[in-house]
Amino acid sequence: MLSAGNDIVSLNAINVTRTKQPNFYSKILTLTETALHKQPGFATIPFEIFVWLLWSIKESAFKFLQRIDADILFTPVKFEVNEIQIPPGFNLPGFDDVELTGIGFDGLNTIRSTIKFGDHIFYSNSLIYKEFIVSVVNSNQDFSQTHWGIKRIDSNETDIQSAEVRAFLIDNLPDKNIIISKNSKGIPILLKDKQELSIPISLSHHEYYIAYSFQLPV
Amino acid sequence: MTRQEILNELKKVISPYTTNKEMLAQINEDTDLLKDLKINSANLVDIIIDAEAKYDIEIDYDEADKMMNVGSCIDVISEKIGQKQQ
Repeated sequence: MLSAGNDIVSLNAINVTRTKQPNFYSKILTLTETALHKQPGFATIPFEIFVWLLWSIKESAFKFLQRIDADILFTPVKFEVNEIQIPPGFNLPGFDDVELTGIGFDGLNTIRSTIKFGDHIFYSNSLIYKEFIVSVVNSNQDFSQTHWGIKRIDSNETDIQSAEVRAFLIDNLPDKNIIISKNSKGIPILLKDKQELSIPISLSHHEYYIAYSFQLPV
Repeated sequence: MTRQEILNELKKVISPYTTNKEMLAQINEDTDLLKDLKINSANLVDIIIDAEAKYDIEIDYDEADKMMNVGSCIDVISEKIGQKQQ
């Protein structure tokens, strides 16, 4: 299944007190997922960050699937993370760069998970910094052709975030003279010479951070 | 409560999560929370929790996933208020 799904959560924007309240996190996490936080290795990840990590994974999986089935609805508890692995000795680093791009996640300290939605299985890689969480999803474990980017910007205004993330993606595409548009369902697509390219993309922004991903055929 | 009364209250619930105050002032039942009001999806749970507190109702996410536009929000809130009164 060729598609793309990513999400970014700015950790400065989350309400820590509210996130830790059961009536809040129970709308995002199932009981089984809540228990995953007690796994060895997650002691260095505060619970509120764990909640938003799973949110970002679930929203990425939703966006991946929405590109194929535009009518599905986002119900976080129905996108269930049933396995999650954290690198040994993981500690939250600070994001010292303005931007970071990559192809695949080999050699990076990512948190990996498996997500189930109905009959679908998805795989994710998440990068967590003190400032934000970025997740990228694929329908198989091969991320070797998954391109991604993260950038800090100077404005948190929606129109500027939207323009910046589009410009950031365009700058990092392998081909030039491409524009970003939306299809009739509101899903972002790439156009070259008015023809839609078969490169699925995903865009996200939150506060002062923007992120993209796109998937090339393996 | 009438649908118009719920809509007027809903405006106050949504207000902290949108910077598009111009659009908020003229919302109608077709207004989309994400596309029109530019609310970040990360705030959708906040809106549900705030609506629960405001109307003293409980909305589970099976119902909340329908709350993508103002009209469907009013449907869910109105149904929950009705159940409470039974």
